[in-house]
Amino acid sequence: MADSVAEIKKAKKLYTFIGLTLFIFTGITVAVATVPALDVGGHGFDVYDMVLGLLIAAFKASLVMLIFMHLNHEKKLVYFLFIMGIVFGIFLMAITAWAFSDPISYGSGTTDQGKSGFYNPERAPVD
Amino acid sequence: MDIPYTVTPRKDTGLYNAKVGIWLFLASEVMLFGGLFSGYVFLRVYADFPWPERSLPIVPGLINTFILIGSSVTVVFAWAALKMRKWRQFQVYMVITLLCAALFMVLKGIEYKAKWTHQAVRMKDFVVVEGHNHKFTIDSKGKIEHYPAGGHGGEGHAHHDLEKNGMFLIADKDESAGDKSKGKKDKHYYNKVVFNGDSVTIDLERFYDPIVQDLMAQAQKQGSKMKLTQSIIGRPNHKVAEETLASEGDLLSLGLLKELRAVHLDAKAHNAKIRTKQNRDAWARLRKDLPKEMRGEPSYKIKNDLELDPEFDKFIVATTSSLTFNIEPTVTFVLKPRSVRESAESASFMDGTLLSGAMDSKHSQIEMAADAIDFRFVAQRAEEKGIDPEVAIQNTWLMKNNPKVKELWAQHNKHIEKFEAELLKKHGRGKDGNPTHVPTDTERYRIGWQELVNMGEGKEMMGVFSGFAGPVHELDKEAKKSHYSRHFPEIVVPREEVNLESKFTPRWNNYYAIYFLITGLHGLHVVGGIIVLGYFLVFGKKMYLNNPERLANRVEVGGLFWHFVDLVWIFLFPILYLM
Repeated sequence: MADSVAEIKKAKKLYTFIGLTLFIFTGITVAVATVPALDVGGHGFDVYDMVLGLLIAAFKASLVMLIFMHLNHEKKLVYFLFIMGIVFGIFLMAITAWAFSDPISYGSGTTDQGKSGFYNPERAPVD
Repeated sequence: MDIPYTVTPRKDTGLYNAKVGIWLFLASEVMLFGGLFSGYVFLRVYADFPWPERSLPIVPGLINTFILIGSSVTVVFAWAALKMRKWRQFQVYMVITLLCAALFMVLKGIEYKAKWTHQAVRMKDFVVVEGHNHKFTIDSKGKIEHYPAGGHGGEGHAHHDLEKNGMFLIADKDESAGDKSKGKKDKHYYNKVVFNGDSVTIDLERFYDPIVQDLMAQAQKQGSKMKLTQSIIGRPNHKVAEETLASEGDLLSLGLLKELRAVHLDAKAHNAKIRTKQNRDAWARLRKDLPKEMRGEPSYKIKNDLELDPEFDKFIVATTSSLTFNIEPTVTFVLKPRSVRESAESASFMDGTLLSGAMDSKHSQIEMAADAIDFRFVAQRAEEKGIDPEVAIQNTWLMKNNPKVKELWAQHNKHIEKFEAELLKKHGRGKDGNPTHVPTDTERYRIGWQELVNMGEGKEMMGVFSGFAGPVHELDKEAKKSHYSRHFPEIVVPREEVNLESKFTPRWNNYYAIYFLITGLHGLHVVGGIIVLGYFLVFGKKMYLNNPERLANRVEVGGLFWHFVDLVWIFLFPILYLM
């Protein structure tokens, strides 16, 4: 962490630079989504656009975290707390994902209902 | 008592305490927003309707992104200024940060307002029409006059007043946006169910005062009386003899309803007591003769049908749970679509009140200046059933009954054919012989507002900022005279053909539900940030003079929260606006 006046002055230059980078990448996100010539994959929105858009967002987010939130030089405990947050966040997403494919209630796709936790009238067991 | 470790780091953590606290909080926030984002993914992947992808106007979102990133830079500058002990500089940067935050909320407000004044209608054959409702007035005699007008500002204003007027019906509130030349105030409404009611049935247990009051007010205004159809006999106190509580022809009043409700509930409670006693008695008789080994068994194994003592039945009191009133002469009720579930012969309210009579189809129809005609849902349904989407579209009510729409669709199809050929020429065919680049479903099946404007004569409206937060319904001078918006076709939809009508609110579809949920929660975080950072700015001077390092730490912690708010928006912007 910057503590002396000289260091902070140096850090301010970095903050400005990062801010400009974020501006530019915001522009790039919009450009790849709206300018036909920059459209990746097929025409219009598809999985390639999604991956590209989220990659740019992740890059911007990591700049904010590393530089503005000082995660590039932080104490161990902070990393631990934040990473635990992300791990639990992913765990929460996994819980929702069980609705798409639920190994606990529906086995591994061998039952009549198939893998999905959603009720499917066509494949419902006949009794 | 001094709070420990506000400045000096704690030995075991190596951090001052507030920092540990804020990171714990941010970790919980990651989980909260992570859960919401996963909810978004879930809703989108399993949506059973065409997801409105890339449907929000990008410019406000883009400006908001710049604003938040900018304020992230200034908040970290404010912290740096405190570290260098420059109070004035800190103030300047903090003020800029707060202004940015306020501007963010203003833009959000503009965006939200555009959504919840924008009408959408889904018909029974899944055609979706979006636009703005036409204005109409009702004079004191219940006569309805229509003012087709696409005026955006005026509509929003009057709509707002209508919302203020009450939750349910739209009986007798003034709205002054009308013609002042007539010398009296007219009432303007945009979307309504007109129903000629000849009788009303009220559920005594569930009726809700404002709904009944609104109905009574509308009847009274048209000089009509609501009379009870039959005498009600009951026992106000179940110990005394029967008496007539209300006689045929009594007028509807809240007092009467409440009185009868009290008697009904009293009798019901009394009857419940009798039934309980009757059951207990029967069980007691049964258990007396039960063999010992049966005693622990659940009751259904012992006996399915109890022999109840018929002696008790004579204590049961007759009750009346609903009352029917005749409306003489018939009243033309004007009802708010959201508060009523209507059919050709009846209209029911959420409290169980039921109007019988006949819907006035002509006056109940939805008239709008349509700024989008969307056949995506029709096409999706047709493809699911294995029908050619074009055939399904040609068979919809709107295409058959509205020649203007038919013409627009033909024009749109020509555009798409041209566009398809262009794409094919530019990108060629893949290995399987199919074109690699084809128009999206949105382009193919939706006639959006820009296209409608282009098809019309309104090219001059397509400036950079027109459509900032949605379709522009502003009228030019010529159009104002005739009350029509010349850019957007007038579409009339009979209410019988409508499946769902709503503003762009969570009711309309899951997309708007999750959109308002996530952006609303994010907006609340921005407001929270304004409060916390504003507090440091306004009340920080004293601490700055006593213990500047502590204030710097506070600002750092507040700044960490602010960066997190920015972080969430960095993901929200592409996901909601660009995908």
